[in-house]
Amino acid sequence: MAWSASKVFMALIEDALENTDAKNLLTDTHKAALYDNDITPDNTVATANTVFNAGQWTSAGNEVFDAAEWATGGVALTGVTSAFASTTYTFDAANTSSGASATLAAVFGCLVYDDTVADRGICYNYFGGSNSVTDGTFTVIWHTNGIFTATG
Amino acid sequence: MPVLLEPTHHWVCPNCPAESVTREARPHSQFHTCPGLKGLSAPMVEAGVRVEVRPVERDDYVGSEKVQTDAEGRPWMAVVTKRNDGEDRAVLAPSATIAARS
Repeated sequence: MAWSASKVFMALIEDALENTDAKNLLTDTHKAALYDNDITPDNTVATANTVFNAGQWTSAGNEVFDAAEWATGGVALTGVTSAFASTTYTFDAANTSSGASATLAAVFGCLVYDDTVADRGICYNYFGGSNSVTDGTFTVIWHTNGIFTATG
Repeated sequence: MPVLLEPTHHWVCPNCPAESVTREARPHSQFHTCPGLKGLSAPMVEAGVRVEVRPVERDDYVGSEKVQTDAEGRPWMAVVTKRNDGEDRAVLAPSATIAARS
């Protein structure tokens, strides 16, 4: 198995509705960590396995990083927005970039997680194939629809 | 007394007439919606630097993914900037979605 889609963790919804933790998507610090294709992301796992460096998101052998350029544990999101309009809720941020001298190989997707609340996963985004950069800048351009959306 | 000046960066696009100016001391990049790449979000490059900026096709099938497409609806995976001394890559991330239906 491998990456196949971009998904929101169902545990995020349950934890929010049951007030399991004091997560605040607008004000918490969030990070995007990069991963290779050795993992099989699953949005139906329990909260404990949505966490960075747990379950499929174990860093060793799976995470792609380059010291200070795109550090292990990911790069913090900036310009985060959290709002709804009509029947669509959107979580979004400014594009996320590495330093100017990053070397990253075979990046297939990223885990977006809450760095403030126990590194709990929010969603994962599949880039659609293998992406690498050598001694350059790696940028994630988030979709104009947002990092994730919920529609009702 | 020393005077600290903010460096000025002149940005251009090799695929369209877009130009831009930023005043920022820290390393940064500049993106725009490029008509030359059929509306994709693409990086601009500093004026005077010879580069190639081109989109990269998505490897995997789209399925139900909310991918980023150009003005003709064609999905793309990334935009690559090829410099003489290296390469930058901007991935066009799909949006994760969840729907509540009644």
